Amino acid sequence: MCGLGRCVFQETGSLETLIEIMTSILVQDLHKTYKGALEPSLKGLSFSFEKGMITGLLGPNGAGKTTTISIICGLVSADSGLVTVFDLPQTTAHREEIKQLVGIVPQQIALFPQLTAIENLEYFGNLYGLKGKPLRTLIDEYLQIFGLEQNGNKAVHRYSGGMKRRANIIASILHQPKLLILDEPTAGVDVQSRSMILQFLRDFNAKGASIIYTSHLLDEAQTICQEVAIIDEGKLIVQGTPANLIAQHPECQHLEDVFLYYTGHAVRD
Amino acid sequence: MLRLLATIKKEWLLLLRDRTGLALLFAMPVVLITVMALIEDAPFRDYQELRFDVLTVDNDHGRLGKHIREGLALTGQFNIIDTLDGKPVQEAQALDKVNAGDYKICIIIPQGATGAIVSNANRIVNDLSKRMGVPAILPVSTRKDSLNVWVYFDPASKKAFKSVIHQAIDNFLTQVETDLLLERIKQQLKNKDIVQQDSMVIQLKAVGLKEQLTGPSQQLDVISNSVQHNVPAWSIFAMFFIAIPIGGHMIREREEGSLVRIRLIPGSFLDILGGKLLFFMAVTVVQFYLMMMVGIYLLPLFGLPKLMMGNSHLATFIIAVSIGLAATAYGILVGTVFKTPNQALNFGAISIVILSAIGGIWIPLEIMPAKMQLIGHLSPLSWGLDAINDIYLRNRGVQHIWLHVGKLIGCAVLMLCIAAGVEQRRIS
Repeated sequence: MCGLGRCVFQETGSLETLIEIMTSILVQDLHKTYKGALEPSLKGLSFSFEKGMITGLLGPNGAGKTTTISIICGLVSADSGLVTVFDLPQTTAHREEIKQLVGIVPQQIALFPQLTAIENLEYFGNLYGLKGKPLRTLIDEYLQIFGLEQNGNKAVHRYSGGMKRRANIIASILHQPKLLILDEPTAGVDVQSRSMILQFLRDFNAKGASIIYTSHLLDEAQTICQEVAIIDEGKLIVQGTPANLIAQHPECQHLEDVFLYYTGHAVRD
Repeated sequence: MLRLLATIKKEWLLLLRDRTGLALLFAMPVVLITVMALIEDAPFRDYQELRFDVLTVDNDHGRLGKHIREGLALTGQFNIIDTLDGKPVQEAQALDKVNAGDYKICIIIPQGATGAIVSNANRIVNDLSKRMGVPAILPVSTRKDSLNVWVYFDPASKKAFKSVIHQAIDNFLTQVETDLLLERIKQQLKNKDIVQQDSMVIQLKAVGLKEQLTGPSQQLDVISNSVQHNVPAWSIFAMFFIAIPIGGHMIREREEGSLVRIRLIPGSFLDILGGKLLFFMAVTVVQFYLMMMVGIYLLPLFGLPKLMMGNSHLATFIIAVSIGLAATAYGILVGTVFKTPNQALNFGAISIVILSAIGGIWIPLEIMPAKMQLIGHLSPLSWGLDAINDIYLRNRGVQHIWLHVGKLIGCAVLMLCIAAGVEQRRIS
């Protein structure tokens, strides 16, 4: 079945094998208007992201990124349209299954500030059904990866901005998600923390995880994303690899130029 | 189960880290209960326990004055003051003192009062003797005008207080008049050799009056003292105040994003809610028993009566859990409905004060106006207090508190359903 019409035929010896390139996310004709809102947030948004890629979901403020992510992870229901996550439709019947497959790193530091990082991670790990020594080993491993091993017993409210961001990511990957969605994971962090986070994303992706990444830092997106989708006013504007998008517009040298080309220079509220 | 236990542990850790919150939950109610029990001790004491100074101006110097003074002193409620600065109290001086509020009562016994009573008794006996054909020989005064014992009250005195004093003095007057009349009758009969001296016993009180409580309680002195009312009442108040930290926590969790993270994790949200409910219910039950310990061990150190908890500890535990459940559910409702911690704090505090005021926490429901009593019975705090009064004062057990328990649990379920509806609407 080629749900997206994106199939690759590969010949191996005498057998012709059809390998379907599954999508991590498929969004089709998505519409959403919040109660009391004058304008719809999504106006027939459609895109698909390939499995195993780092994909940037880019757009100016109010473009519909957060609404799209909220619908993908099941926090908000769409008025109409289809969303599938690893071919599972985002419906009540599959919601729990999808939650297990997806890790969300919200823009906010979604941790309990009065608790230590370890207490936070143990709590969220327990909610995922993890416990005991395996959980503790996992936490120690991630604290080390993110350079927090010396501060695991410190209350999160005493962390620097970068440390909070790193702890925030760990809390979202304890259950080893196949798809990680990050909403501006490097906002307000120093260069060292940003570098550490981006390196982790590459490593995590190398292990087979799909990553969807939103950011206003387009040089960062250009560096890390294998593909980007630019959306604006609730619709997909363009999708492709950063290199291809730049190449399509001779006047553009960077992804940011392409972004401004499609979304304009007008300031958004 | 893991999710539920993890949530309980998380709430426990959060509470431990919040020292101000801990103080508000445990230390403040101890102070509140102690202060309220001490302040309301006097109003809760009945007239048998209170003593009032009574200025007495005895212009009679006879049997009536003596009887009134002794009778009032015997009740144990009055200190008879008949001298000021070593001199007998004068009528004008006494009136000034009462008007100024220095004394609550002043009794003025007029000159010749006893004589008037004796004369009246003699007249009755003479009249009876004549009708019986016996010569009337007892002396009778020719005075025509009637005498009055005057009672002056502090203008600020309560009507009920005046009525009690009035009745007491009226009783003394009647008693003196009756005694003198009987004496005169006996004397007249003796004079005529109808009966031998000391052989005639006249008993006027054929039927007496005795107080007895209903129900199985043997604790006659328990009812309506400051400790028995204030300790359970303010404990319930303090338990409901947990709504404020719960509401604040929930709003902060929503604002900080941890609630969203929890919602993104597979599994029923009921586990999380259940963990929160169980933890805060446990906190309120601990609060409740801590307050009971204050009533049993701390308040007696201040000279207040010891709290009596009745005989059914199971019933006490069940009602404490039910109140805790209702209080926690109220906190969850407040935390769901309001958007900022400030809104939750203000609404939570004011609403609990109102619910407690109408629910009989401040003053017992029985002494409120009838309409307020009707409204008061709608307050969950009054259901809890009624049940505790049943257990503590009426010595009742589990089988008598189910209605109150049912109302509290029903109210908790309703509040949780409303909270779920509001949250669902917010998400959609």
